[in-house]
Amino acid sequence: MSMFTYAGIILGVMVSIYIIAKIFKLSTELSMLAAAIAGGLAGGFRIPARHIAEGAMTYLDINLIFITATLFMNILKESGGVAFVVRRILKRFHRSRTLLFILLTLLLLIPGALTGAGSVTVLITGGMVAVVLNYMGISKVRTTAIVFIIAGLSAAAPPVSLWAMMTAAGVNMPYVGFFYPLLIPCVIAALLTIFILGWKGTGTDIEKAFEELPEPPEKMNWLRVILPFIIFLGLVFIGRQWPHSTPVIGLPLMFLCAAVTSFILSPVKVNFFKISGDTVEQLLPLIGTLTCAGILVQIMTLTGVRGLLAVSTVTLPVIVVYASLFFVLPVSEAVLMWGAAPVIGVPLVLLFNTIGLNPIVALAGMSVIWPLGDALPPTAIIGRLTVEIVGYKESYIRFLKACIIPAIIIMIIGTLMVIYSSELGFLTGL
Amino acid sequence: MADNNVYIRKIILSVLGFLLLIFSGISFYKHRHLEEHVVLGEGVTEVKKLSDYFDGVKGTINDCNIYILEGKEPGATLFVMGASHPEEPAGRLAPWIFVENGVMEKGRLIVVLSANRSGTTVTRLGGGYPPDYTIPTGWGEQKFRMGDRWANPLDQWPDPEVYIHYPSRQNLAYVDIRNLNRAWPGRPNGTLTEKTCYAFMELIRKEKVDIFIDLHEAELQYPVISTIVAHEKGHELAAVVSMVLTDMGEFNMGMEYSPKSLHGLSHREVGDFSDAISLLFEAPEPFLDATRGKTTREQLLTGKDEFIVKAGEHGLLFEKIDENGWPIDVRVGRHTSAVLMTMEIWTEEHPDMSLVCINVPGYAEVIENGIGYYLKDPFRANPERVIIE
Repeated sequence: MSMFTYAGIILGVMVSIYIIAKIFKLSTELSMLAAAIAGGLAGGFRIPARHIAEGAMTYLDINLIFITATLFMNILKESGGVAFVVRRILKRFHRSRTLLFILLTLLLLIPGALTGAGSVTVLITGGMVAVVLNYMGISKVRTTAIVFIIAGLSAAAPPVSLWAMMTAAGVNMPYVGFFYPLLIPCVIAALLTIFILGWKGTGTDIEKAFEELPEPPEKMNWLRVILPFIIFLGLVFIGRQWPHSTPVIGLPLMFLCAAVTSFILSPVKVNFFKISGDTVEQLLPLIGTLTCAGILVQIMTLTGVRGLLAVSTVTLPVIVVYASLFFVLPVSEAVLMWGAAPVIGVPLVLLFNTIGLNPIVALAGMSVIWPLGDALPPTAIIGRLTVEIVGYKESYIRFLKACIIPAIIIMIIGTLMVIYSSELGFLTGL
Repeated sequence: MADNNVYIRKIILSVLGFLLLIFSGISFYKHRHLEEHVVLGEGVTEVKKLSDYFDGVKGTINDCNIYILEGKEPGATLFVMGASHPEEPAGRLAPWIFVENGVMEKGRLIVVLSANRSGTTVTRLGGGYPPDYTIPTGWGEQKFRMGDRWANPLDQWPDPEVYIHYPSRQNLAYVDIRNLNRAWPGRPNGTLTEKTCYAFMELIRKEKVDIFIDLHEAELQYPVISTIVAHEKGHELAAVVSMVLTDMGEFNMGMEYSPKSLHGLSHREVGDFSDAISLLFEAPEPFLDATRGKTTREQLLTGKDEFIVKAGEHGLLFEKIDENGWPIDVRVGRHTSAVLMTMEIWTEEHPDMSLVCINVPGYAEVIENGIGYYLKDPFRANPERVIIE
């Protein structure tokens, strides 16, 4: 049997088992695990315990960053820091719609940019920003679309962009030079989204907004909010400035230091252990997805399915690859979530590198498009989460329709970044 | 009732998780503790430890063996390093042949088989690598640990958010802080990988090494392949070696200049921070290609892969490949021949500092007889001449 037939059969088995698992209402992560085990069995590897365990550890570091960063954000929220910032911004800038839009965009971008997870943005600042947007006269469906799209962009924004990190790791490419290629399109697309979808609203009803927004504790102030960020950024700075005189502590411990600072500075009593437990519970689907994506990728690599996808992709006419990015990337994200990065992203970056494109800018362009798939079934985790947090109760299709214009803009920006990646190479600073 | 179901489900999943832990744990333990026997050839005059040169690595997993083959007559000193990247088996098996067979007539040869010993105890996460591979021999099979490009996180963790190389301060991928060939020249108070590089630099300086050769393998989609990467001190030597090997028709061997701005790599830093000429040899290893098919021991050793052939047909590779693949014998033979040729060319140019090695097979012999022919049976050898690597 040729390798193409062998790997093709296993791919068929894996896809079938995934679909069957979804029909039986298994979660995405368990469906991926089932598909991986079926792939191992079909490939003649029985149940490869070593590979399952090894695959499960692939994204351990990323999971730890996820957990500690979200813990930090949750403590900040519980201590009233987030509500304090939203209220202050609203009070100070409610007369200028433009300035308010810019600041709200920033609020939505920061949590996801720091953690790499759009869900963190939705959970931490999404709800409160939605309240403000509603009182600026923006319809619920448009508000939901704004929060979802910018949350997705925040996940792609630097410094932590999981799609870029995972794909870069898959091709032995340093995760260096991505800052501006990711930051610029994310900020531009986020601003375009909020201005296009939000511009037609009425004036800001600040009284009503303040009534609905949570009241921050009396003793909350800017220092209590900013100091944890200073601790985090300070640790990053020290590590970069004096890398050979300071011990390597890693990003998870840095986020934990920020979380502890926020806990100590909280003007209200915060239950650290309860928030820790809630954080893990909140992140369980995402941690599970990353863990199972690691197992799936390991089995796909073991059985040659990854190679089949890779070689099929890299041997396609380049024009076809360009033209299908807008469709392939969101759909792969909808099915595999971050697992799409090593499965689809790796061969595409190899192809782009081989034909002389700038792999960093091209990957950044792809990373901007990927999050759009988070609103699409079968997973739609971030889409569903946004709908729930914002309190949008109408048709999900209507929400998707509201996302179309910014989605098209993002697809165009991402695809153009890939096509003109060589010309945009200066953005990497390398 | 619903609570009961959840309870039962949790028990079942816990049991399955525990079984996974046991079976995978056994595999990981066996891999990390697999004993590889080295039968010291008659040419090996001394076996030292890396910590003899820098005690900062004493007691660590990277305190590897240093095999010294002192020549019958004085000459230059050549240092051949294997397993800088332990996922590249030809880079480890070629020096193995030197240790078990080589005899220095003139000059001195220093050989390391597990430069990043930590990296030989782990396989790549997500890579689906086999934990080991076996080479058939006349007396049975010899098993070797398969490794990774990076040191084992069990030995060095966590990684920083960005790796800043010492002393150049060049920014590199965070994971490369565990990559031995991105940490040269190392530092005495750094990470395990940096200390290991520093210890090797001390060895190079204290033993007055004249030529340093780092043996590697590369994926076919990587442009630096089937070549010698040479520090400027070694341009002439590398150019002649490359030219003679190619002209003799044994195999094509390119030659590239070590970029001055690319830091942490042995071909740059060893040359910059010692008196030695530093060279790096690359052989093709299809196993490393992301477009590879089934990830098996067979693919690792035969280098046969339909998918990579397909990629080659579309002009996506930097080295040719056909249905015959790139067998391990061919890859190891390239390395042994290239090292022997380096000695020969050096000796022609420096007759007063010769390097002459006998009993080591070249390219054609390794292909004809297979690597196994040159591996010695540790159970029949004098136990005093058997070392655990």
